[in-house]
Amino acid sequence: MPARSNLVRRVPAILAAATLLLASCTGAEPNELLVLEWAGYEEPDFWTDFATANPDTNVEFEFGSNDAEILSLMQAGSQSDIFHFYTGWQQFYVDEELVREIDVSKLTNWDAVPEEMKALGQIDGKQYYIPWDWGFTSILYNTEQVDDVTSWDVLFNEDYAGHISMWDDGPGAVTVSAYINGWDETAITEEQLTQIEQDWKDQKPLNLHYWDSEYDNLCPEVISGDIWVAYAWQGCYATALAEGVPVAYADPVEGRNSWVGLYGISAETDSYELALKFLDLKLAELTCSNAVTIFYYGCANSEVMAGITDEILIEAFSIDNPDILETTRFTPLVTAEQRDAWTAMWTRVKAE
Amino acid sequence: MSRRTSVGIGRTRVPLGPVYGLMLLFLYFPIALLFLFSFSTNTVLTFPLRGFTVDRYREGFGDAALLEAARNSVVVGIGAASIATALGLGVSIAVSRFRFRGRLGLFALAGLPLIVPFVVLGVSLFLLFNLADLPRSLFAIAAGHTVIALPFATLILLARMGGLDPALEDAAMDLGATYPVTLRRVVLPVMVPTILSAWLTCFIVSFDEVAIALFLAGGDPTFPVFLYGQLRFAQRLPVLIAMAVTLTMLTVTLTLIAFRLGRRKE
Amino acid sequence: MLGRRGALRFLALPPYVWLAVFFLAPLLLIVAISFRPETGPIDFDDPWTFTIAQYQRILETPAYLRRLGMSVVVALVVATAATVLAYPIAYFLAFRARERAVFFLVLLLIPFAVSYLLRVMAWRLMLGGEGAINSLLEWLGVISAPLDLLIYSPVAVVVTLIYVWIPFAALPVYAALQRIERGHLEAAADLGAGPWTRFARVTVPLSLPGAVAAFFMVFIPTVGEYVTPSLVGGTEGYMYGNIIQDFFSQAASWATGAALAVIMLLLTLALVAVALRLIDVRRLAS
Repeated sequence: MPARSNLVRRVPAILAAATLLLASCTGAEPNELLVLEWAGYEEPDFWTDFATANPDTNVEFEFGSNDAEILSLMQAGSQSDIFHFYTGWQQFYVDEELVREIDVSKLTNWDAVPEEMKALGQIDGKQYYIPWDWGFTSILYNTEQVDDVTSWDVLFNEDYAGHISMWDDGPGAVTVSAYINGWDETAITEEQLTQIEQDWKDQKPLNLHYWDSEYDNLCPEVISGDIWVAYAWQGCYATALAEGVPVAYADPVEGRNSWVGLYGISAETDSYELALKFLDLKLAELTCSNAVTIFYYGCANSEVMAGITDEILIEAFSIDNPDILETTRFTPLVTAEQRDAWTAMWTRVKAE
Repeated sequence: MSRRTSVGIGRTRVPLGPVYGLMLLFLYFPIALLFLFSFSTNTVLTFPLRGFTVDRYREGFGDAALLEAARNSVVVGIGAASIATALGLGVSIAVSRFRFRGRLGLFALAGLPLIVPFVVLGVSLFLLFNLADLPRSLFAIAAGHTVIALPFATLILLARMGGLDPALEDAAMDLGATYPVTLRRVVLPVMVPTILSAWLTCFIVSFDEVAIALFLAGGDPTFPVFLYGQLRFAQRLPVLIAMAVTLTMLTVTLTLIAFRLGRRKE
Repeated sequence: MLGRRGALRFLALPPYVWLAVFFLAPLLLIVAISFRPETGPIDFDDPWTFTIAQYQRILETPAYLRRLGMSVVVALVVATAATVLAYPIAYFLAFRARERAVFFLVLLLIPFAVSYLLRVMAWRLMLGGEGAINSLLEWLGVISAPLDLLIYSPVAVVVTLIYVWIPFAALPVYAALQRIERGHLEAAADLGAGPWTRFARVTVPLSLPGAVAAFFMVFIPTVGEYVTPSLVGGTEGYMYGNIIQDFFSQAASWATGAALAVIMLLLTLALVAVALRLIDVRRLAS
């Protein structure tokens, strides 16, 4: 019959659609975890202790690419049991009731976490987050092309025009300006923000480009010598050193910035105990040291950090300098209005 | 066919063959570079190239996440291409063989996705799924890809339908066949090669698409989404290139097979 | 009983439904959201209030509209170049490679099987300071220091996009050239027209719908392009699509991002309307 022949022609298409529909249905089963992560962190190396302890648990990952996106995904009702973000955003999840308090008595590796980092994971005295990865932000520079760097304002130095690279991030830009001008990061006025916006608009032509992905468009160009001065985390410093490039990581008079990666458990999770175990074992020795040796990031287990013997890593983390943490400024909490104003400012700088 | 009526530029023959060859060279050069890199021991994508190794390929095939992403891309591509081609066929036949009030409107609607930037479509679909309380998933990506592939399918199929003499169909119906039978036994067989090329075009559009997929990928990434995320890590890049090269080879083989089949039907 | 009319419904309805759900509805949603107050990510449980504040903000920032203009120019250049460069390829396929056309076509499309991202990365490699192009020029003695403008510039964006789009632009032109009946050219030859005259007065006009289709197929998506600019554009090659993407991800200001998107949609619709004035759309559909 003619009608059926047309239908028959369509059957494969209908089947395809049905298959897709079925394939996308993820039932909420017990022994499962969904983690909202940053790309690269899903590597088995970064949760290997948990995989060994719970081989039958199915761990899946969902991805965000910056803190604003991670927050909006959680606000939009992501099914993730665990989410990962960086310092400066702790208040928002608590305000929006997206995060559940951590029962630290159930954590076996909690004692190895430095006190300053525990504090970063607390809001109103309650422990909401577990710190894991951390590092510095400072100026990475090529010692053959650039004189000794003593201040953050080297990013604005016209002598190095075309060879500078700033991180593509509004709050980061505001932080740098606050350091240089001696302003309070948590209390930037409208006047100051206007000045900051103009300063960065003037700075824009000095950049080779803004980088947004450390190993993609920062590190290769530091190594090839196209970038001489960069706002950078220590990961690229260690990588460049390993490649034999003459680089140094500055100790500016205004101080280095530091950031810490925090994990929170979703308020909506069905797998609280499992999530807690996952995070606890992230702090375990093998997993933690993998973060150090593979990412060149610090890990919030002080015993692991103390046990580092690799010379390049000691150099990168300034482990020989016991005072370094005292002159380091951790990213503070800001309000949503501030965050929005700063990112809008940065978009205007980029569009200029 | 006499020489006088051969088309082209006749005696003042422009050497188009070499022009085409040059163009192919231009198109393949970057890919050749990538191919070279997949065999080098470089960790970053700069000259000079050092060392020769097939380790990347070995690593790639052992990487479960990578293979799964590739598989996801194939599944999404097949789904999106099939639906888009089927819908495009519907539009092209309707628009070229029927006179009805919404005719131009349907054609315009089928082509409209071309006007919408992928970023907008990706975001708006994300919002839609949000509103409907559905999670981001491969189905969401496939739905988006079907929308953007539909104009291509429609244009390709329509162009061919336009060249098809309706007299053939009229003749069939004069002989007593109903329209659906005519479609099935007169039009479709002739259209098969074009349907295949439309399907393949849609598949390629979907397989490679990253802008929309980035917004709609949930726990299961497609290959470009996976790739975009992995760009963070220089160590991973050569392995990814090796796998991309492998996928290229696979797609090429499939394409050649498909065209062989298509031509045999003719 | 499925007659001719019934067949029409079967053919036309599914596309309508699919597009209504996955295309029109999302777009309406985005337009609606652009008129909401800026609250960062959207919570659909929030009450819907109407405001034009986002549009005001955008119109007060000339930089955004300047970028839109720049994006249109980039798209114009890319589309024109891609169509012009694709023409000889399509001609070759249609008239020179008659029986083996499919084979050559496949050769043309193979690069497309390689991931777009990686092709762009390969261009970054080629355009960079130590890249293939600069090394070659230096070795030839044409330049003494690497050219800065090749990478992280609008030039890099344009070149890369042309590269990406040429194979696709060739397809509609090829389809149009293929449809040209030999009879027309034979008649022209019979009337004494030389090869170039035949080309200019028969082939080109008849293939024009294909060329125009190719032009728009490239032009419109390029206006909203954001991935290539983010990889090779640097600070100068920042395009309007990047602004939208930044507002949705980095800045998480969805209402403003939606307003920016609506503005771009209106502009492209306007441009397409103008273009449709110039070509008779019925000719394309017939």
